[in-house]
Amino acid sequence: MSFSIITSRLLESFAINGEIFLVTLALGLPLGLVIAFGSMSSFKPLSWLTKTFVWIIRGTPLMLQVIIVFYGPGLIWGGEFMGRIEATMAAFAVNYACYFSEIYRGGIEGIATGQGEAGQVLGMTKSQIFFKVTLLQVIKRIVPPMGNEIITLVKDTSLARVIANKEIIMMAQEYTSKGLIWPLFYTAVFFLVASGVLTLLLGWLEKKLSYFK
Amino acid sequence: MSVLEVKNLQKSFDELEVLKDIDFSLEKGETVAIIGSSGSGKTTLLRCINFLERPNGGQMLVNGNVIFDAADPSTQKESEIRKKRLHFGLVFQSFNLFPQYTALQNVKLASELLVREQKDYKKNKKAILAEIDRQARENLTQMGLADKMDYYPHQLSGGQQQRVAIARALALSPDVLCFDEPTSALDPELTGEVLKVIKGLADKRTTMIIVTHEMAFARAVADRVIFMDGGVIVEQGAPEDVLGNPREERTKQFLARYSEE
Repeated sequence: MSFSIITSRLLESFAINGEIFLVTLALGLPLGLVIAFGSMSSFKPLSWLTKTFVWIIRGTPLMLQVIIVFYGPGLIWGGEFMGRIEATMAAFAVNYACYFSEIYRGGIEGIATGQGEAGQVLGMTKSQIFFKVTLLQVIKRIVPPMGNEIITLVKDTSLARVIANKEIIMMAQEYTSKGLIWPLFYTAVFFLVASGVLTLLLGWLEKKLSYFK
Repeated sequence: MSVLEVKNLQKSFDELEVLKDIDFSLEKGETVAIIGSSGSGKTTLLRCINFLERPNGGQMLVNGNVIFDAADPSTQKESEIRKKRLHFGLVFQSFNLFPQYTALQNVKLASELLVREQKDYKKNKKAILAEIDRQARENLTQMGLADKMDYYPHQLSGGQQQRVAIARALALSPDVLCFDEPTSALDPELTGEVLKVIKGLADKRTTMIIVTHEMAFARAVADRVIFMDGGVIVEQGAPEDVLGNPREERTKQFLARYSEE
């Protein structure tokens, strides 16, 4: 089988990795902020509940969570609840939201209280203080740790094969079972290109925000 | 009529009573310096006046109107507190400039947000914003920062940052401008430039409350000095009396410690 055919097959299946990646970010980034506010809440039961949830999600393997989300509901109530790709995306989004929430929390709590107080004595509303004063400072602080998580996410998407999503590594393994081993090694190039582009993008963003300290 | 009257102000943090029955008033154009050792309650008093802490007891009046009464919840509505804060400006010990904005933007930001609430804002937006810009530039020039307007805080020295912070507090034309140890976070060689602009404001009869450790400065700039200890006002009066010829034993001890240093 020719190199170009295998390349295009692998590229097709890498689109699944891409979808999981994008949906996880699109859902996980806002959900993470909600969880962060929950865990910072002064209402104790809420912050306790949120922190327990984050502990469970971060304390168990993502692979296991994908399996549970896909098979769990069916085992309990019978029938099929979600497609393979939807279950994968749901598990990924919740898992990554928990990691993101801790990053948000660190970013928000790290902003000196003096910033908010300065806004208050200048007659700003709470939302003006958040959007005009705090937010950009939080973003600047969280870009580097967020970058780490996002790069990890690129590679984690290959876990989707645990419930038979035909992502790139699963695709390559089909060739392996036919006696062709190099396509599996070749998948590394796809991941490297993707994480390389993201590294450049994140570096650019960090540089963009380096005009203030 | 006094610009500010503080009556029986009390503040506790849990069991700790930080302010016990504080009474004082401030006349228009007057500069009052508050001195006292750390823990005497002077910073807490300033924070109460600026609604950063909520007093447990007492009243505050501005131009004769009650703006805070611990016994009357209707004076403590969150939505109104924001407006009431505008009677006061506060310059922090640690400047607290917004790092992502230039000096000029720091001075303009609050005004630009506040005018959005005006009825004619949409119609006269351009003229209103131009006026804010002109005013902010004038303020910064007054602070000797005409050539630093487009600098970000991290590009400025501590003394320059504090002067931007003063311009920012002045931008909203508060009735009373408060300073919380404005030179304590500065290198000794930079305190002079900040004290000089505060002196300039006093000469122009800006109404000010200055919490300070600089005794010589308090003597030079204040119309009246208040000495606080253990959450009470121990003694107040003209600087030459309180600092030069104190009546109370506690004031004498405090000043003696200072002259030793």
